[in-house]
Amino acid sequence: MMSFHPQKKVFQVSSGAESFAQWLDDGGAPALDPRIHLAGIVASSEDPIISKNLDGTIISWNSAATRVFGYEPEEILGRSILTLIPPELHHEEQEIMRKIRACERIEHFETTRMRKNGERFPISVTISPIQDATGKVIAASKIARDISEKKKNDETRFRLAAIVDSADDGIISKDLNGIVTSWNEAARKIFGYTADEMLGQPVLRLIPADLQYEEDEILRKLRAGQRIEHYETTRQKKNGELIEVSVTISPIKDEAGKVIGGSKIVRDISDRKRVERLVLQSEKLSATGRMAAAIAHEINNPLESLMNIIFLARTYSVADSRVHNLLLTAEGELERVAHIARQTLGYYKDTGAPTEVHIHDLLENVLAVYASKMIASGIKVDRRYADSQAIMVSKGEMLQVFSNVVANANDAMPEGGVLAISTREVSSAFGDGIEILIRDSGVGIEKDNLARIFEPFFTTKGNLGTGIGLWVTKQLLEQRGSQIRISSRVGPTNSGTTVTIFIPFARPEVRSEATQLV
Amino acid sequence: MRLSAPPEAIYAVEQFHKGRAEHSSTEAEGFELGRDRARILVVDDQKLIADSLAEILRNEGFDAVAAYDGWQALKAVPGFRPNWLLSDVLMPRMNGVQLAISIRKNFPKIGILLLSGQAGIAEILQEGLRHGYQFELIAKPIHPLHIVERLKRER
Repeated sequence: MMSFHPQKKVFQVSSGAESFAQWLDDGGAPALDPRIHLAGIVASSEDPIISKNLDGTIISWNSAATRVFGYEPEEILGRSILTLIPPELHHEEQEIMRKIRACERIEHFETTRMRKNGERFPISVTISPIQDATGKVIAASKIARDISEKKKNDETRFRLAAIVDSADDGIISKDLNGIVTSWNEAARKIFGYTADEMLGQPVLRLIPADLQYEEDEILRKLRAGQRIEHYETTRQKKNGELIEVSVTISPIKDEAGKVIGGSKIVRDISDRKRVERLVLQSEKLSATGRMAAAIAHEINNPLESLMNIIFLARTYSVADSRVHNLLLTAEGELERVAHIARQTLGYYKDTGAPTEVHIHDLLENVLAVYASKMIASGIKVDRRYADSQAIMVSKGEMLQVFSNVVANANDAMPEGGVLAISTREVSSAFGDGIEILIRDSGVGIEKDNLARIFEPFFTTKGNLGTGIGLWVTKQLLEQRGSQIRISSRVGPTNSGTTVTIFIPFARPEVRSEATQLV
Repeated sequence: MRLSAPPEAIYAVEQFHKGRAEHSSTEAEGFELGRDRARILVVDDQKLIADSLAEILRNEGFDAVAAYDGWQALKAVPGFRPNWLLSDVLMPRMNGVQLAISIRKNFPKIGILLLSGQAGIAEILQEGLRHGYQFELIAKPIHPLHIVERLKRER
């Protein structure tokens, strides 16, 4: 209950509003003493209310003060207010008291105070002078508010803002009229508009003309409080370029639960879509490839016969005759077919099940195939094998990969050179595995071409290239979780190309048969 | 590698070993260009390929004969005493690598060139490697003059 000690001029409020109400219900005096009335208000306040006299002695202490500071009234009454102030902030009290004596009020002063257990916490205090009947300041009342929670919320807000700004996805909010109200850094990167350019602007700016009807539907759903998830569509960048995006839109509600806008998370999926299209294309090609592989055996032998027979026919024809020249042309054309057959069908074998092999053995197999050609072109091979662990790979695929790379290296060194092949076991960002370096001292690849080197049907070899060798190589490697990188240098000295292949020991789950390639 | 073979094959192998003894005792190793034409044994189960290649090689100044499978080739070796064996890899009954190993074991001076462009030879080569044999391989289809060039170089 409540006690009043006139001698000590101290109010002691030892219980909260409930007991005060109880006291009223129990038939407390209907003609309420205003002091008791005020005491009731103080007791039921959520905020600590403390009063102190001019020498800083605490003379009243409500239950909220107990809750926040941890002192019971009997512990703290009569003690100095400095008890609640961290030592390094004691100087504040002098200033506060100076103002109080001058009858000034201090409002929402944010500072730090100390709980009984020594914990410091942020607080906002409003301090008012208490005057006697003559207007003389005799004490001060202090309403404090523990703002730890508010501070925490502020921090959360800052943290969220930082997250939003550092997100890779565009995060945009808009009101129910489709006007942009926030725009993060990733949104700038995706669309090219800065926040200044977009805030207050209609979101329709981002929607291509033929898709603007989508926004009506989106806003309709938002108003109905519905969420739209992973909606894939096309949007337009500032420079007019169209991009494929996946958007998730959620309604933003006010405290009352009323929808006031929408937040939109936008992900640029142009790259993913490109890959999907390529995979689709490669699946089509792979079906073709398998069929081609099935008949490769049947093609290569007749090709060999044809080449021999036409060569013989030419040998027996009269030099420089029409027949001789026609056969010469036929031979040239056959040579082209033979090249393409070797490059694309040579090693393919539908080896669905990978087996354990040593990479250097496979490299040796490929080198054996090219040995005579390399000797003829004056290419020396420098081998440095440091892979000792066997690895699970599809042999046919790997032979095709190495064969394509070695063939390119040979083509780059028509005047001879050094083909340096090395292997080593490495730990990389992609896990542990074997790294294979295949370096030629050839002509090198121009920068513009280097950027396009893995594109299907891109070739620098004119009629003799199919433009699918490296593309197939990359597909074969990547579908097995392996990596390929190519760097190159052109110029009069030190030119050459280095192909780096990384094959992980731990294979990711094997993709379905359908994605296997040529 | 097991040679479980029909009777005519066993006969071939016997003849082969008999020939080997004669070969190594009576014949000087290798050949000299100008004095003697290099002898090439061409082996391919595709008759057309073996015949046309042998003909081309003869036109190019070699002494070339064709055989159409491994046993026939083994039988021919002692009498013909080739300087080079030029063999396809994928052949029925005895593949090119098995043939090459037999010849390498018994006639180490004979040069061996394998020809193949087909899927499936990786395993066969691998098996050869496991037995400690490695052979030079030329990818088919190949212009015959490339083969001629190769044969004219030192092995």
